[in-house]
Amino acid sequence: MKNQLIRRKAIFTAAFLLVFLFSGLSFYRSRHLKEPVVAGDGLLEVRKLSHYFPGLRGRINDASVYILGKGTTGSADGAALVLGGSHAEEPAGRLAAWLLVENARLERGRLFVILSANPSASTSTRPGGAYPPDYEIPTPWGRQKFRQGDRWSNPLDQWPDPEVYIHYPSRQQLAYMDIRNQNRTWPGRPDGTMTEKTCYAMTQLIIKEKIDLVIDLHEAELQYPVISTIVAHQKGEDLAALASMMISGEEGFNIGVEYSPVALRGLSHREIGDHTQAIPLLLETPEPFLDATRGRTDRALLLTGKDEFVMKAGRHGLLFEKLDENGWPIDVRVGRHLSSIIQIFKVWTELHPERPIQMENVPRYAEVIARGTGFYLKNPDLAPAGRLFYE
Amino acid sequence: MSPTQSALLILSVMVAAYALAKILKVSTELSLFLAAVAGALAGGYGLPVRHLAEGAITYLDICLIFLTATLFMNLLKEAGGVAFAVRAILKKFHRRRFMLFLLLVFLLLIPGALTGAGSVTVLITGSLVAVVLKYTGLSEVRVAAIIFLIAGLSAAAPPVSLWAMLTAAGINMPYVGFFLPLLIPCVLGALLTIFILGRKARPVDLEKALAELPVPPERMNWWRLGLPFAAFLVLVLAGRIFPFSFPILGLPLIFALTAVVAVLVSPVRLNIWKTSLATAEQLLPLVGTLTCVGVLVQVMTLTGVRGLISVSVVTLPAAVVIASLFLTLPLSEAVLMWGAAPVLGVPLVLLFNTRGLDPVVALAGMSIIWPLGDALPPTAIIGRLTMDTVGVKERYSTFLKMCLVPAAIIALLGTLMVIFSKKLSFLTLF
Amino acid sequence: MAAFITFLYYLMVAFFAACFIWNFRRSRNWQSEVLYLIVLLPFLLRLFRLK
Repeated sequence: MKNQLIRRKAIFTAAFLLVFLFSGLSFYRSRHLKEPVVAGDGLLEVRKLSHYFPGLRGRINDASVYILGKGTTGSADGAALVLGGSHAEEPAGRLAAWLLVENARLERGRLFVILSANPSASTSTRPGGAYPPDYEIPTPWGRQKFRQGDRWSNPLDQWPDPEVYIHYPSRQQLAYMDIRNQNRTWPGRPDGTMTEKTCYAMTQLIIKEKIDLVIDLHEAELQYPVISTIVAHQKGEDLAALASMMISGEEGFNIGVEYSPVALRGLSHREIGDHTQAIPLLLETPEPFLDATRGRTDRALLLTGKDEFVMKAGRHGLLFEKLDENGWPIDVRVGRHLSSIIQIFKVWTELHPERPIQMENVPRYAEVIARGTGFYLKNPDLAPAGRLFYE
Repeated sequence: MSPTQSALLILSVMVAAYALAKILKVSTELSLFLAAVAGALAGGYGLPVRHLAEGAITYLDICLIFLTATLFMNLLKEAGGVAFAVRAILKKFHRRRFMLFLLLVFLLLIPGALTGAGSVTVLITGSLVAVVLKYTGLSEVRVAAIIFLIAGLSAAAPPVSLWAMLTAAGINMPYVGFFLPLLIPCVLGALLTIFILGRKARPVDLEKALAELPVPPERMNWWRLGLPFAAFLVLVLAGRIFPFSFPILGLPLIFALTAVVAVLVSPVRLNIWKTSLATAEQLLPLVGTLTCVGVLVQVMTLTGVRGLISVSVVTLPAAVVIASLFLTLPLSEAVLMWGAAPVLGVPLVLLFNTRGLDPVVALAGMSIIWPLGDALPPTAIIGRLTMDTVGVKERYSTFLKMCLVPAAIIALLGTLMVIFSKKLSFLTLF
Repeated sequence: MAAFITFLYYLMVAFFAACFIWNFRRSRNWQSEVLYLIVLLPFLLRLFRLK
């Protein structure tokens, strides 16, 4: 009897250890997956965020800042900061930023790009969300793998959460887990949580580098009313409106303009505008993968944006963006972000000729759709010396 | 096979696996787990250990809250604090039912309102209130119904209402304007519940009651009893008042520190390890359910079953959706617990918003209906926890029947708030 | 201070994991044994900083 009990427990324990080991290994691998970045000719320098706020040194969120320009970094021309991966579960934002670093050449001005604005969030997938741990983009030289990531910082890097999150400095009460949401912790504070410190470091970057424009790249579920749009702080109303017109006229797709609500705190389009000299704009593309009504959650849905259940919600008037059998492929979403950035810089330079930002060699919407996102990703095996970095 | 047919097939396999497991006398928690495994197999995923493990960790923080809060209450009980408090309340209020009920409602609303968890109400003040109520001549099952329903309302009550917070977060709506739309129906519902179910309460036969109650250790006093609760309140309030200078402790640590205070001021020596083991054993069904529900939700999301359920509900005509809230919200809570807010709450509020209703008041109305589902299978976590805490021996269905009338009133209140949300939008002051 | 609080959380997780393992050893019911191991999984994944 006793032997039987011991044998039973031994079998259960062995099964448990197998599940623990295999799942643990899978989590460990995706947390430590290295994503190669082959910087293009336009790269001047790569800095860490701790350059602007030493409090981040040694932390996972000490993100890389890729500085693109011509000549020295101290030019009097305009300067822009592009943020990818504020929400790491929105891949089009990260990929668009990737293509900027690997391809863009600045004729005038400086461009600061952060591929993983919240690196911690890119190392975890959402419990209950059934996200794939990673996804692959086909390229002419093979497939490049990226971490999928989550909306919130990984609890392994910031734990515990409070029972209610009180935003600094507005004291607005927000849901407890949003203290790990990079787009609810702006402008950040030096003695706050890791996510707040990350925002603080980026705020310092914006101030010290005299950034004129901040473009925060996002994706949204189709049931969310703020979608396919530029969300602009009131300082950027004209810029956003003109850019929207130019995009509709020249790029082959429509994008709306929304104004940042004053009552909604912690978001980049509100707080950067209120606390720094920069004009913040937030770009949203549609990502059906994020919809609560989505069907099978897999890599195909993430990259094709095709989903019958979300389409059904659309037929009942519940979506704020169209969805048909063509879905919302990743190339369309990446292309929209890139063309929007190109047009925003163009309009900015027209409105502010004394602070020009002129960027070349970045693929536009039609080109990304025609050739695919992967066409513009460079082979890390052939990277010139000093040009290969890892996220 | 179309995605709908595929999801329907997987759902059927999951339901069949659950039913079969129950027939074979497998516990609810393990049946949920088996249903999840069957769903993954039917979905063609084999045994996806990563997804099973990821689902299992979904509610880790909530499990820690349950464990630390229950450990604190168990230590307090061992120290004689609960018996002391019950005797004191009875002595003071045994003749004044109205005042007694008001005090008890207040005691029940506070823990859940501060933490957002009905289970904390049940564990912290529920057990204490239950003893008092039993001495007013109310049956155990009636007492359990009162505590369960008010605990649910306490979880929905401001300042922390997780359903409202999670849904608001899902649609990027600030969690502001909810205080009155949540407070008014919660207080109203709680008072109606205790006065309806407690209408047959008699004044307490004090001598008899005191004779039956355990006698606390001699050195137990208000200070020793009050200090742990004062510590809890101070730690929670400090975080609220000085959010930028006071460190983030989180509820599990706050409860753990409260437990430490309880041990330090206890008039008798407490065996912490023994009480902890007993707490882990006592909470195994609850923590087990939370863990297995996490696994189930993960597999439902992975296979598209969650999407099928969500889209089926939100594509019904708005009038039907509103009229069936009393059913869909508790049922979604029963299966997904707080997961119901992002899965169902988000599309519902967006639907109401497009139909011109006030999203804040409508969401507040929904938030008071959701907790009713905590008594329903398959999870029935808070319902079962309340039964255990009160010590009800009757069948679970008797408890459910007892909850029916006040639950219907609460559901009606919530539904009316959704329907008249536009007219009630003046409540969204702060 | 934040790092110390996080450390206390890992201690708490280790403590309750130990409780579950202890009870698993004492248990004589196969369903409880399986359930103890299921609830142990998230605690160990966090304790070993895997998830």
